[in-house]
Amino acid sequence: MNILFLTPLFPLLGALVLAFNPRLPDRIAGLVGVGSIGLAALVMVWLNVTFYGGANEGVTQTLWQWVAVEDFRMGFSLYLDGLSLTMVSIITGVGFLIHLFAAWYMREDLEGGPGFARFFAYMNLFVFSMLLLVLGDNLFLLYLGWEGVGLCSYLLIGYYYENENNAWCAFKAFIVTRIGDVFLAIGMFLLFAQFGTLNIQELLRLAPEAWGRGDLMAELAALMLLGGAVGKSAQLPLQTWLADAMAGPTPVSALIHAATMVTAGVYLIARTHVIFELAPMTLGLVGLIGMLTLLVAGFAALAQTDIKRVLAYSTMSQIGYMFLALGVQAWDVAIFHLMTHAFFKALLFLTSGSVIIACHHEQNIFKMGGLRKTLKLPYACFLIGGAALSALPLISAGFYSKDEILWLAFDHGHTWLWLGALFGAFLTSVYTFRMIFIVFHGREQIHPHAGQGLAHHVPLIVLAVLSTFVGAMIHPPLENVLPAGPEGQFGHSVQLMLEILAAVVAIVGVGIAAGLFLGRRRLVRSLVQTKEGDRLWRFFNSAFAFDWLYHRVVVRPFLFIGRLHRLDWVNSLMNLWPGLALMLNGLLSDTQSGRLRWYAAVMTGGAIATLLLLLLL
Amino acid sequence: MNLTLSHLIALLPLLIVCVTVIVVMLGIAWRRHHVVTASLTTIGLNAALVSLLAVLTVTPIRVSPLLLVDNYAVLYMALILIAGLASTTLAHAYLEGFDDQKEEFYMLLGCSVLGGLTMVASDHMLSLFFGLELLSVPLYGMAAYAYRTRLSLESGIKYMVLSAAASAFLLFGMALLYAESGSLAFADLGARLTEGGGHASWLLMGIGMMVIAMAFKLSLVPFHLWTADVYEGAPAPVTAFLATVSKIAVFALLMRLFMSAPVTDIASLHTIVAIIAFLSMMVGNLMALRQDNIKRLMGYSSIGHLGYLLTVVVASDDLALLTTGIYLITYVATTLATFGVIALVSSPWQGSDVASLKFYRGLFWRRPYLAAVMTVMMLSLAGIPMTAGFIGKFYVLATGVEAQLWWLVAGVIIGSALSLYYYLRVMVMLYLHPTEEEQYDASSDWGQRAGGIMVILLALAVLVLGIYPQPMIMLVSSAILG
Amino acid sequence: MDLAAQLAQNWSVGVFIVAVLALCTFMVTASALLGGRAWGHNKETPYESGIVPAGSAHQRFSVKFYMVAMLFVIFDVEALYLFGWAISIRETGWTGLIGATIFIFILLAGLIYDSRVGALDWVPKRRVQPDRVHQPAQRDQADN
Repeated sequence: MNILFLTPLFPLLGALVLAFNPRLPDRIAGLVGVGSIGLAALVMVWLNVTFYGGANEGVTQTLWQWVAVEDFRMGFSLYLDGLSLTMVSIITGVGFLIHLFAAWYMREDLEGGPGFARFFAYMNLFVFSMLLLVLGDNLFLLYLGWEGVGLCSYLLIGYYYENENNAWCAFKAFIVTRIGDVFLAIGMFLLFAQFGTLNIQELLRLAPEAWGRGDLMAELAALMLLGGAVGKSAQLPLQTWLADAMAGPTPVSALIHAATMVTAGVYLIARTHVIFELAPMTLGLVGLIGMLTLLVAGFAALAQTDIKRVLAYSTMSQIGYMFLALGVQAWDVAIFHLMTHAFFKALLFLTSGSVIIACHHEQNIFKMGGLRKTLKLPYACFLIGGAALSALPLISAGFYSKDEILWLAFDHGHTWLWLGALFGAFLTSVYTFRMIFIVFHGREQIHPHAGQGLAHHVPLIVLAVLSTFVGAMIHPPLENVLPAGPEGQFGHSVQLMLEILAAVVAIVGVGIAAGLFLGRRRLVRSLVQTKEGDRLWRFFNSAFAFDWLYHRVVVRPFLFIGRLHRLDWVNSLMNLWPGLALMLNGLLSDTQSGRLRWYAAVMTGGAIATLLLLLLL
Repeated sequence: MNLTLSHLIALLPLLIVCVTVIVVMLGIAWRRHHVVTASLTTIGLNAALVSLLAVLTVTPIRVSPLLLVDNYAVLYMALILIAGLASTTLAHAYLEGFDDQKEEFYMLLGCSVLGGLTMVASDHMLSLFFGLELLSVPLYGMAAYAYRTRLSLESGIKYMVLSAAASAFLLFGMALLYAESGSLAFADLGARLTEGGGHASWLLMGIGMMVIAMAFKLSLVPFHLWTADVYEGAPAPVTAFLATVSKIAVFALLMRLFMSAPVTDIASLHTIVAIIAFLSMMVGNLMALRQDNIKRLMGYSSIGHLGYLLTVVVASDDLALLTTGIYLITYVATTLATFGVIALVSSPWQGSDVASLKFYRGLFWRRPYLAAVMTVMMLSLAGIPMTAGFIGKFYVLATGVEAQLWWLVAGVIIGSALSLYYYLRVMVMLYLHPTEEEQYDASSDWGQRAGGIMVILLALAVLVLGIYPQPMIMLVSSAILG
Repeated sequence: MDLAAQLAQNWSVGVFIVAVLALCTFMVTASALLGGRAWGHNKETPYESGIVPAGSAHQRFSVKFYMVAMLFVIFDVEALYLFGWAISIRETGWTGLIGATIFIFILLAGLIYDSRVGALDWVPKRRVQPDRVHQPAQRDQADN
């Protein structure tokens, strides 16, 4: 395992090389950017091989002593167990495919313009930070990665910074997630104050000894961690930034805002699951947040016109499922869903990128239509990805993970959550196939040019294969890391019944979508044209108007307070001093007349004064 | 008196510089050649610097009643020689474009360095006066070197007249002290004061006059008015020299005087020095606030800095000696690099220096390295942590606190707060977008020139000493113990 | 020493200063009060009863005049040091002799330099530079 450190090292080197050579030719920059992740992926494969061949236990690799204050020691240490290995595999594996695709996408997108190296520098830095996040053996290192991915997310959302709107979107993402980060930091302080260490494994060992189930401190610590997770994973109530984060290039959306970074919150909760188990109220809150988010996002996705925004809301809702799974203590299933989600969501985003480029940067789905004849590969990919997203039975990867979540929610006795999730599954298949039908069926409105080349095809095909049941056959090695959860109440027959129910719901959703959106869409149009329909549509389109609400409740009062402080009388009192200084400056400057006799006179006067004082004192 | 070999070794740096000056003079007489002359000077000063290693083997040693070569002297000799070398380097780049005789400059510089070396080793009134004059007289010529420029000539004459007046004070003070004590050696001065006899007032007047003269050389309030005009008018390398060598030499001597002469153990003298220090901190920093000429600004800032440093004279304890060394090292490195940048931007000479702050607007976008050096220097002058200036200021504060000089500590703090304003103003100016106006610029091959390398090295030194000051502190403390 | 004792010691100096000031004041005021004053055009001229000056008093001498005078003074004064050596020639011995020799050679080097740079030529061979005065770049506004 001693080559563990190479995984984050390669992306870091790539980022440094690209950052300091911004004028590298595109070909070489692409080679460096993609190659570094490729090397990291190779290391990942090696790690997997040795991990399965070995004892299947956690391994720590301390690179150097990072902090040493009195008896507080913290190493710059990486920790590898089943959970982090799963995450590393997703990050480097899916990350490599996305990088490869990005090499094609950015070349088409920039058309030889500058910024190619910059893009890959950011992307590599992101992968490095994300690897630190999942590999860090203490919360401090995790936090470093956490902030690092936040920074890269900011940089990449604002990648097209010439457009001011994008810069504001980047600001929004940065600030909103920062609120979550503050909670996480407070949580870290809390844990450190309680246990005097930030080492995660030690914390997990010490916490059950110190706290009983439902202890106030345990609830508080879990709540703070949850705050951080909610911010990063775009869950209610800090979900508003994710849809705007689509301002970045599409591979960025695929990598950061779908496959990896936004799942950091899920990882954090899974990693610190012991603390959450000690805090049943907070754990319940996790499930509730998950359910609410998946419903809100599901409705919002129904009313989007931008292909990427549909996918963004679907991401939000899928992470909602993961949170729900965490909330019902189906830890390993949450991670399993995280993995399959990474496959099919990356696939969907990359395909949408391919479609967008093919349609000359058009993102409005109502201006596309009928693309299935010209864009055969993207169509196939979208079908597979969409099937996985809406968990169509048996053939798709999403089915195996999502139905497991639904079943366990029911099995662990959370009937309401189960109902919500089931309804969410229905919504999912409706909006997914709404998008597919609008984009690929119907009347052709645009003349696309299909993407070419290996860098375009290979990632799509690999991800498409992984999004089918093939992907679901990969089982993350989580047995030693995450507990199995409480005993179920129901038997196999109930499980089978529920699975059939979920499958039926999904298929019905597809059917309804077909009925509404295939053909002339007369019914939908007439519904939207009514007054209530229009209002509802707008309500959904703005994702339940959270932005409006926050603007009223948070931003405006904040600005108001800010304005109040502009007329700070304490400050104006302080401003007297500069005035005094300037006055003295004016007076003293007058002594610099430039006249020699005046200088001599002052010197003599000074000498007399000095000597007199000397005699008198 | 018998001169032994070890005496000669102790005098080596002085002898080498002396020989250098003569060789340079003969060289000029034989054939004028700018590069050769500058190289000869550089070689000579370097040789003197190396010879300090030999001197260390015989220290401490008294050479005649006039000179005492100890580790303290060697430290400041090294500092003076380095400053002299830096000025030589800058002058070489600067004088390239000078349309008059260039070579005599190095002769004057060598003489002045010789005077400085004599001063820091002097333990006697005679060598003090001799050194001070040898230091100052060539400086008049150097300040007025670009004498066809009105400002340069003006600065030379102003400095000469006022400096002569200050020398008169010094001489009269020495005469009074001699009359009362019958000796010119520092250690004997005011020895009778402790015995209780004699006219205390005369002694007081004598030492007071000497302090006035040195306060003039150090440009302390109220003897500071010449500073800005001379700094502004003198060519940039000369200003660099004036701001470093003459300050090091005079301050080192003042410190030695206060540490070794019993006559300075008078309470009222310390009060006076404290008042001068406080006034200097305030006045220097206040005057710099709205200054638009960077050379004048540095002049005012030097008034403030010497004010801070004067705190240690008031304290006059062992920590004060340490502080003096550290502060002077950091101050000299910072000042040299600052004037180095000014000189490089003004090089080669084109009739006048680039001193107005507006010409530095957007320097970063044209000469990023120079601007970076300037930035570090401004931070160091302001005493921001991670730079050498912080260490110096920290030690001054430590000295002040230990000696419980609360007024002076307050003065240092207020002065630093004021100074931030104008240092940051310079920094901001460097990074603004350049205007369309006429812009002066360092000649594009400045990086190849020794001067460019030198300022970058100085900037690195300032950063390294700021982050890892231990070697410097060890060096200085070994110097004051030896 | 307290102030009273100091006063007692220095009172004579004080009296002297006061007396000097009083005498000067007396002489000026008394003559102004007692003496008559004559008014007239000629009272305004510099030399009331002498020759009317012709031309300006600000006459320019050649810089060579000062140069040679200065060089003379410098070498003359430096030669004076040799007298000091001469009367102690036995006491200083070889060290003194070597020192004096070095001193003389330094003077010689200076003389060579002076003659080479043309400081001793009464008529300069050529003008080194045309009369060109560089104007200062910019004086600051804050101080002047």
